[in-house]
Amino acid sequence: MPPSSRIPPLLQAYVRLPRDDSILLLTSTLGASANWLVIRFLCDALSSPPTTTTQDSDEEEHGGADVVLVSWMREYEFWRQEARKGGGLDLERLRREARFAFVDGLSTLFLPPPPPIERKEDEAERGSQGQAVGMVGRAGLPVRGPAPGRVGPVRGLAGTPAVAAAAAQTMTATAAISQAGSPSSTPGLYTLKSPDLAHLKATISSALMHIQSASSASTKRKTLLLLDNPDILLATVPSLSPSALTSTLLTLHTQASHILVHMQADTPLLSLSTPPQPLEVAQHNFLVKMAHMSRRILSVRVLDTGVARDVSGVLRVTENRESWVDLGFGGGKDEGKGEEQNRELLYLVKGDGSVRVFERGAGGEG
Amino acid sequence: MAFRKRNIALTRSPSGEDTSASPSSPSPVPTPVRPPPGVRPSPIDGRLTTSTGTPSLDGVLAGHAGLPLGNSILIGESGTTDYAGALLRFYAAEGVVQGHKVHVVGMGEVWGRELPGIAEDKEDRRKEGKERAEKMKIAWRYEGLGQFESARGAPTPNRSPSQVEGAHGEVAAVFCHTFDLARRLTLPVGTAINYVPIPRTSSPFPAILQGIQRQLASTPPNTIHRLVIPSLLSPAIYPPISSHPSSVLQFLHALRALLRQYPTRLTAIITLPLSLYPRTAGLVRWMEILSDGVLELSPFPYSHMQTLATSAGTTKDEEKPQGMLAVHKLPVFHEKGGGGGADGLGEDLAFTLSRRKFVIAKFSLPPLEGDREAQEEAGREMSGGNAMPRKEELEF
Repeated sequence: MPPSSRIPPLLQAYVRLPRDDSILLLTSTLGASANWLVIRFLCDALSSPPTTTTQDSDEEEHGGADVVLVSWMREYEFWRQEARKGGGLDLERLRREARFAFVDGLSTLFLPPPPPIERKEDEAERGSQGQAVGMVGRAGLPVRGPAPGRVGPVRGLAGTPAVAAAAAQTMTATAAISQAGSPSSTPGLYTLKSPDLAHLKATISSALMHIQSASSASTKRKTLLLLDNPDILLATVPSLSPSALTSTLLTLHTQASHILVHMQADTPLLSLSTPPQPLEVAQHNFLVKMAHMSRRILSVRVLDTGVARDVSGVLRVTENRESWVDLGFGGGKDEGKGEEQNRELLYLVKGDGSVRVFERGAGGEG
Repeated sequence: MAFRKRNIALTRSPSGEDTSASPSSPSPVPTPVRPPPGVRPSPIDGRLTTSTGTPSLDGVLAGHAGLPLGNSILIGESGTTDYAGALLRFYAAEGVVQGHKVHVVGMGEVWGRELPGIAEDKEDRRKEGKERAEKMKIAWRYEGLGQFESARGAPTPNRSPSQVEGAHGEVAAVFCHTFDLARRLTLPVGTAINYVPIPRTSSPFPAILQGIQRQLASTPPNTIHRLVIPSLLSPAIYPPISSHPSSVLQFLHALRALLRQYPTRLTAIITLPLSLYPRTAGLVRWMEILSDGVLELSPFPYSHMQTLATSAGTTKDEEKPQGMLAVHKLPVFHEKGGGGGADGLGEDLAFTLSRRKFVIAKFSLPPLEGDREAQEEAGREMSGGNAMPRKEELEF
C-alpha cells in the first residue's frame, strides 16, 4: 500500500505543505496526542519517489519534501515503528537515502551519558558481575553492526520487544559513534546534548545541510523541519525566553522552506493562574507568537463531551489566509478558498495505527 | 497478516520460543531468551508488560493487561489520604516477589518493611476453583485479556494461562500476586530494595538518576527494575528547590529518556500530592505530559455515619467505593493517538481499597435510603392483597 493512501481523504488537503515557504503549527493536549498527525505529515512529505526528475508540473501536483524531525519527547524507535505501522514508511531506508534525518532531543538532553562508558574501569575492579556487563556492552557492538541494514522487525510477533530493544541499543550505539565524530557511519542521526540554543541551531543546521547536500541539484524539493515539542525547552530552562526561541526558529526557517511546530496547548499551560507562573507565561507567549506566524494551525483536542468509543478526538484546522505573505501569490489551484478556512473534524485512531477522519455526525459505519 | 498477528499474540505461553529466534539477543551466548519472571507479552501487540501488583489496575491499562516495560505512571491524589501509597506498595511488593530490582526514592527501610505480604488464600483458592470452572465455558483465548469486568474482583484472569496448567503439576508462573495489607512481606536477604536517599543539595534529582543509571548498567541485562517514587515534591521529603520547573521537569524528562533507553528493563510509578500541586498549574501539566500514564485519585470525604452504618456487614463495606479514579492518559495507548483497545475508558471509575485488594470498578450511585424504603413498600403492596392497582391509579 503506498504511504499516501494512508492519509484519510478529508485530511489530505491539510497535511499537504503549502506551495510557498511557511510555518505550520500543530497543537495537542494531554489526552489527545498528535503523533498520528505528525506521521501523516511525514507520509505526505516523504511518500513521493526519491528520483523525481520532472520539474515544475510534478512539483505543483505533489511536492514531496525532505524531512528533518527534531523530537524532544519521543525517541527514534517510536517514530520508526509508528511510521511503519501507521504510515507504511520505512524511515531507516529514507534515512539512508538522506531524505530523512532525525535529531534526538530526548535521550541525552538532560540525562547524562550512560555510565558504563566512563566507568568501565571501576566496574571491572568491582567484580565479575560488572566485568560481565562491560563485556556485554563491548561485545554487543560488533554483533549489532549489520543490524541497521536490515528491514524493520515484523510487527506483532512476540519477539518484537527483544528485537526492538536490540534496535534501540543499536540506535544509542550508533548515536554514540556519531558523537565520536564519524558521521559517515550513521548519516541522518543527530543528538542534542544540551538545551543550549546555539547548540540546537548548529545541530539542526547540520542536519538540514546533510539532507540538502544529498538531494541532487536536479530535484528541487522542499525541506520540512518538524519540531516535536520544542516548548519543553521553555518549560525546563526558565532562563530561555520565548522570543529567543522564536528567533532561532526564524533563523532555521531561512534554511528550511517549511517548519511544522508541534506543541502543547493544554488549558493549564495557557490560562494564567492567579499569580502567573513564569512557566505558563512563557508557554502562552510562545504559542501566541507561533500562532500568529503560522500559515495553518491544526489543533487536536479531546472531545468536550467526554471519552467516546468511536471518536478519539477533535481536529480543528484554521487557515491563516489574511497573512500578508499570501497577498501576492496566493490562490494556487490546489487551494480552494473559503470552505476549508476553518473546519472541525473528528478522528479515530484505530488499534492497527490507521486513522479515520470524518465530519461530525458522519461516523457510525466504523 | 492481521489474522496471523492476532493468533500469535494470543498464545501467551511464557516459554519464549519466539524471542529465541531473534539473532540479536542481548546476551553474547545465543541461549533461548525466556521472559524474566513477572513479565509477559501484551495480548494486543506483544510488547512486554509487567504487573503493577494490582489486578484491576492492570486491567485499566488499555488492554495491555499490565504496565508495558519502559513506561511510567503518574498517580495524583488529592486530600490527605494515601491510597496511591497503597498502589505503590503493591507495585513494590510485586517487584520484590518476582525478583525484580526495586528502587524506592526518598523512603527509608521502614517503608520497605511495611510492604504487604502475599495473601494466604485458602478461601480464595476455593473461590478461584469455582470461577475457573465457570471460565471453562468461555473460550480460553478470551481469558486473561485484562477485561474490565473480569478484572474487577477475580484475580484469576490476570494470571498467566500457565496458571491453569499449573493445576496439572506444572510450575505456576503467577503474573500478579494477591497481597494482604495486614501481613508483612518477608524481604529476601540481600538487596531486594534499593533505597535511594534524597540528597539535601541544591537539586536532588541528578544524583538520584545517576544512582539508578548505575544500577541499571551494573545488573545483568535481563533484570527488571522498578522505580518507586512516593509523593514526589512533597516538602516533607524534598528540598524546596526541587519543585522548580528546571529541577523537576528536567528530572522527568531525563527519566523519560532513561525509560526509553531501557525499553525492556525499567518501569516507574510516581505519586504526586495534588493538594499541594493542583492539576490546574502549568507545572503539573508538564509533569503529566512527561509521564506515560496519568491517573488521578479523588477520595470521597470521610464520614463517620457511613462507617458506622456499614460496620456490621463487611461484605457490604467492601463494595462501597472510597473514591473516584480518573484516567487522563494511558501508556502506549495515548501515545499512539488514542482509540482501539481501551474499553471502558470513558466510564466513571471508582476504587475500593480493602485488606486484600485495590479494586477499580465502574462507579454507580448506590440507591438512596428513602428510595429503598419506598421500593420495599411498593413491593409489599404488590405482593399483598391488593396486588392489582385500582383502575383509577393506572395512567394511560
